[in-house]
Amino acid sequence: MSHSLDAIFRPQSVAVVGASNAPEKYGYIILKNILDAGFRGPVYPVNPKGIEILGRPSVRSIADLPPGVDLAVIIIPAGAVPQALTEAGQGEIKAAVIISGGFAESGDEGAALQREVVEVARRSAIRVVGPNCQGVNNPHHGLCASWPLLTQPGEIAVISQSGTVGAALMDWASREQLGCSTFVSLGNRADIDETDVIEYLVTDPHTQAIAVYLEGIKDLDRFRRVVSGCRKPIVILKAGRTVEGRRAAASHTRSLAGRDELYTALFRQLNVHRADSLEDLYDAAKALAYLPRPAGRRLLIITSSGGSGILATDWAEWSGLAIPPLSDQVATRLRGLLPRHCIVANPLDLTGDATAALYRTVVEATAAHVDYQVIIFGDPILDAAGVVTHGAPQLVIFLGGADVERRERERMHLKKVPVFPTPERGLRALARLFAYHGEVS
Amino acid sequence: MTPPSSVEDPGRWLPEPEALRLLSGYNLPVIPHRLATTPEEADRAARDLGCPVAMKVVAADLIHKSDIGGVCLNITSPKEAADTYPAILGRLGPHVSPGSVHGVLVARMAPPGTEVIVGMIRDLQFGPAVMAGLGGIFVELYKDVAYRLPPLSQKEARSMFTELRAAPLLAGYRGRPPQDLDALAGCACAVARIAAERPDIQEIDLNPIIAHDRGCSIVDAKIRVRL
Repeated sequence: MSHSLDAIFRPQSVAVVGASNAPEKYGYIILKNILDAGFRGPVYPVNPKGIEILGRPSVRSIADLPPGVDLAVIIIPAGAVPQALTEAGQGEIKAAVIISGGFAESGDEGAALQREVVEVARRSAIRVVGPNCQGVNNPHHGLCASWPLLTQPGEIAVISQSGTVGAALMDWASREQLGCSTFVSLGNRADIDETDVIEYLVTDPHTQAIAVYLEGIKDLDRFRRVVSGCRKPIVILKAGRTVEGRRAAASHTRSLAGRDELYTALFRQLNVHRADSLEDLYDAAKALAYLPRPAGRRLLIITSSGGSGILATDWAEWSGLAIPPLSDQVATRLRGLLPRHCIVANPLDLTGDATAALYRTVVEATAAHVDYQVIIFGDPILDAAGVVTHGAPQLVIFLGGADVERRERERMHLKKVPVFPTPERGLRALARLFAYHGEVS
Repeated sequence: MTPPSSVEDPGRWLPEPEALRLLSGYNLPVIPHRLATTPEEADRAARDLGCPVAMKVVAADLIHKSDIGGVCLNITSPKEAADTYPAILGRLGPHVSPGSVHGVLVARMAPPGTEVIVGMIRDLQFGPAVMAGLGGIFVELYKDVAYRLPPLSQKEARSMFTELRAAPLLAGYRGRPPQDLDALAGCACAVARIAAERPDIQEIDLNPIIAHDRGCSIVDAKIRVRL
């Protein structure tokens, strides 16, 4: 294998250590998700009783596995993990995802156990995700060694110190049919940390943007080195901004967090967007993954809703984006093409009876004259999806369209055109994209 | 991961003349000054430097000099400087033990301009960080500051000032001339260099630096070193 983390994100075979028949246990849920996500290689349940689980015979111990399994997902009590890893090393297992909790997050005894895990892993040359984590998911590889079951492949990679926060992001992306390229819940980061994964994802062909939830950076010097050389956009939601928040982070995953304003400085210097909410993290990653680089900062807002056009204008202004007036030439041309009641200005208001055909006319007539089109569908506009083009400098916002909106949004997402639900969220995400490419500060 | 081992070494603050000398060694634009230890020396310093001058007490570990009347500004003649010397020391009273007073610093008054701050702190996790912001007594109130982690390019240092909320003030507000951002950025870069070369220095606080349309003047400096 070309990279040691391939055994984690693109394994050829997986063992589930601690597989269980009890549907409420993670040993059952994870095995089921691996099978249901359509993993193509061999999957080995490991259970000391050797029972059949989900229609598959289990092996009684790691020692009974065929040698050289790529990935072991470990879901057994913390105290038994070092021994399991030792056996995994003897069986030439390449990597492990340790779901089990009860390590550094739980006190001195757990911390000692975690140190033991690290020692064994180093000795056996096994790379480890976790412990105390929610696993990994690579929809492009049919690998859902995590929960919940999410299988929609896409272009946003999710790295999260919190399992739930990461799963929420992936859930949103999946529900929108945009999907994710990779999901990893880092947990206690005994071995693999955010920097290792970012370094790995730089060469992942499916990943176009990296969304990260962190409570602290494990190795600052390496992080700075790797991220400053990273050619893919990174968005980070760094929690623990307040004194009490930092205290909570220290007990959650033992993160040592420096002064918050220094994270702001660090991210700024590395051209990493610092998200200030989960929604901001998701929206920015969505824009950065799916929207093309702008050629300049002149926007044209095309809308059927006057109110939405004004809201978008305010957010553009606040974000340092420009809404210049139409040139005489373009305005004259549009007046010849559009019904008289349309307001030919910027925002360009097609008014409430706008059709997809009218949108298309405007989009085509103005594309060469502005840097980005902000297309707001403010009503149930049939075939809105036919107006927009993947890879074109177009920000799409859809609201107030009920069932038609939901159908058209799905169509647009299936052709990889991201759709934002409000002028605010759309324009903020666009501002992040422009900032990444150096168009606004 | 182990928590920070202990409370940081409180260190000690360098007497101001020593701090200013250190800064001058890095070509920072320190306001011309003399240390006077008698009224006569204050008189001569004012004469040499040219009035108006400012005078401030120099005493070990006395940080908030102005709060106790240890600072006098806009002294217009050498005679006034000589008279001010005993007046300042007389006001210190119980705040300062007599043995800890080194004298009075006489410094040329900087021409008026915008007050900014440039500083450096060492964070347990991040190491040195350079700070810049709107200075004077408003630092605490508005918290309009930007941080950067060294190494620091001149361009990066400049951006600390342009991203402040108070940036328009520096860019030439209401007909005032634009202030010399390159000179300010130069101060920030020099502070980053000090942080890199002097690991014993824990904290630097240049507040205020008076920004002018050409150049800038450091009129007050605090430097904390490890014990």
